[in-house]
Amino acid sequence: MTGAARETVERFLYREARLMDEHRYKEWLALWSDDGVYWVPCNDDDIDPARQVSIIYDDRERLQQRVDRLLSGSVLAQDPKPRMRRVVSNVEIEASDGVDVTVHSNFVLALARGDGQQLWAGRSIHRLLVQGDDFKIRRKTVLLINSDQEMPLLQFLI
Amino acid sequence: MATPIDYEALTGGARVHGSLYRDPAVFERELEAIWNKVWVYIGHDSEVPEPGDYVRRQIGLQPVLMIRGDDHVVRVLFNRCRHRGNLVCNRDRGSAATLKCPYHGWTYSRSGALLEPSFEEGYDSNLRREDFALSAVPRVASYRGLVFASAAATGPSLDEHLGQVKEYLDLFMDVSPTGEVELNTGIQKLRYKGNWKFLPENSLEGDYHGPFIHRVAFELHSRRSGLYMSSLYENAIPDVIRALPGGHMVEDYRGATMAPPQRKPSAARQAYMAMMEARYGADKARQLTSTIPPLVYVFPNLLYIMTHIRRVQPVSVDLTHIYYQPLLLKGAPPEINEARLREHEFGFGPAGLISPDDIEIMERNQLGVRAQGNEWQFIGRGLHRDTLLPDGGASGFTMDECHLRGMWLHYGRLMNRP
Repeated sequence: MTGAARETVERFLYREARLMDEHRYKEWLALWSDDGVYWVPCNDDDIDPARQVSIIYDDRERLQQRVDRLLSGSVLAQDPKPRMRRVVSNVEIEASDGVDVTVHSNFVLALARGDGQQLWAGRSIHRLLVQGDDFKIRRKTVLLINSDQEMPLLQFLI
Repeated sequence: MATPIDYEALTGGARVHGSLYRDPAVFERELEAIWNKVWVYIGHDSEVPEPGDYVRRQIGLQPVLMIRGDDHVVRVLFNRCRHRGNLVCNRDRGSAATLKCPYHGWTYSRSGALLEPSFEEGYDSNLRREDFALSAVPRVASYRGLVFASAAATGPSLDEHLGQVKEYLDLFMDVSPTGEVELNTGIQKLRYKGNWKFLPENSLEGDYHGPFIHRVAFELHSRRSGLYMSSLYENAIPDVIRALPGGHMVEDYRGATMAPPQRKPSAARQAYMAMMEARYGADKARQLTSTIPPLVYVFPNLLYIMTHIRRVQPVSVDLTHIYYQPLLLKGAPPEINEARLREHEFGFGPAGLISPDDIEIMERNQLGVRAQGNEWQFIGRGLHRDTLLPDGGASGFTMDECHLRGMWLHYGRLMNRP
């Protein structure tokens, strides 16, 4: 992959991060392809989601419902909304076949709400459908470092 | 010395005193009078299918291991080396050939027998190995694979403790076409800054709070499943809410009609229904699968809610851990079980669309009960229309609070018992 292509991948990841941080749910959903799968495994990184429970396993229909609920204003953990900023880094382009490109990256997310701050961290694996200079997310897997710990609510986009 | 607290006075008459959620002395008393006395749910035997398989659990704040021995017996052992009291096992789950304490290497068998105190030549004949086995929790018993343990050597049997709640445990186990369920499906783990008792209270009164905090999630659920969830609070249905002797609570939906899905069943669903009919006959199979199974609370720490077993683990007076384990149906087509997992994740766990609103409420509830203007919470809905049952329990309409009154009555008695 060329340097320019790498830059477009990074620009896409940064834009996605900003939309998630700023609660811009509709614009975030528009980044996804119709066959998109959003997966956050539970307990281990390499579980079989057909046999083991996940924290999130959304197909496009469920992703739409997740976003509909976030947009409805009824999510109590978003009242008031947390303030969030995340850093996306260590971007590594793993493979590209001209149709899809698979990208690994790390993130650290700080979240402020009520009288406290939370720190969330993990590794994201994006499989992106190449569309000229832009991309659509076909699959996003988020490996949380705390997926086997008792965690607070995860009522935002990760 | 402070005057002892009269817990029955703090829980009687359809009211509950706020101090019961926030006073560290109450929490200490609960450890002694409840957690270290009664039958506590530990886990399901499908979590430890092979000899040597173990999971770490707690009885109150005491660490225990549920482990299957070479004789296939599931034991519950205190997770404490008999030498100097170190945790023998530090992992959450796994499989062990032997249990070896990492501190000085004392090694135990998978049934807890001491195999080898290290450097044994330094001990005289006074160290008899049979006196130094890992301590077993005094009483262990199971019901349909659900393993319970009691840290008290004497008391009611598990059968007596469960009593009538067994009928409801049967109803959700019987949704399996083999009558067996599997819980080796992973565990969603969550923490909330609130007292543990908020969880059973909240988990079984969703009909009342549903229209306020779950409206959007229920609409999304209905759109997909075809089940009309809001019928539960739009109609007052008798005998749904049940208080059972022993502090157990049930929401029994057998009398409620929720329009069943009209769409054509999938091939997997048809295969599942055929298995159910072969096992139970057509009528019972339809009854078991046509509505949501009952919601069940087994005092003090086991809940069965729609898709999963939920375990409550107190940490301190204002911090609690919750474990959600979806329950798969042994022998059912894989598509059916996969759909159960997806159904579970939709509603539950840290990122679900239903229960997180409950968690947020419980954290706010913990803040609310710090206020001492009037210390009494009111749980009087339906008090005038309770049906008292011959076994000492009671039943009420959808949204009534008779089950909460039953739980608190039991709590007060246990806490006051010398």
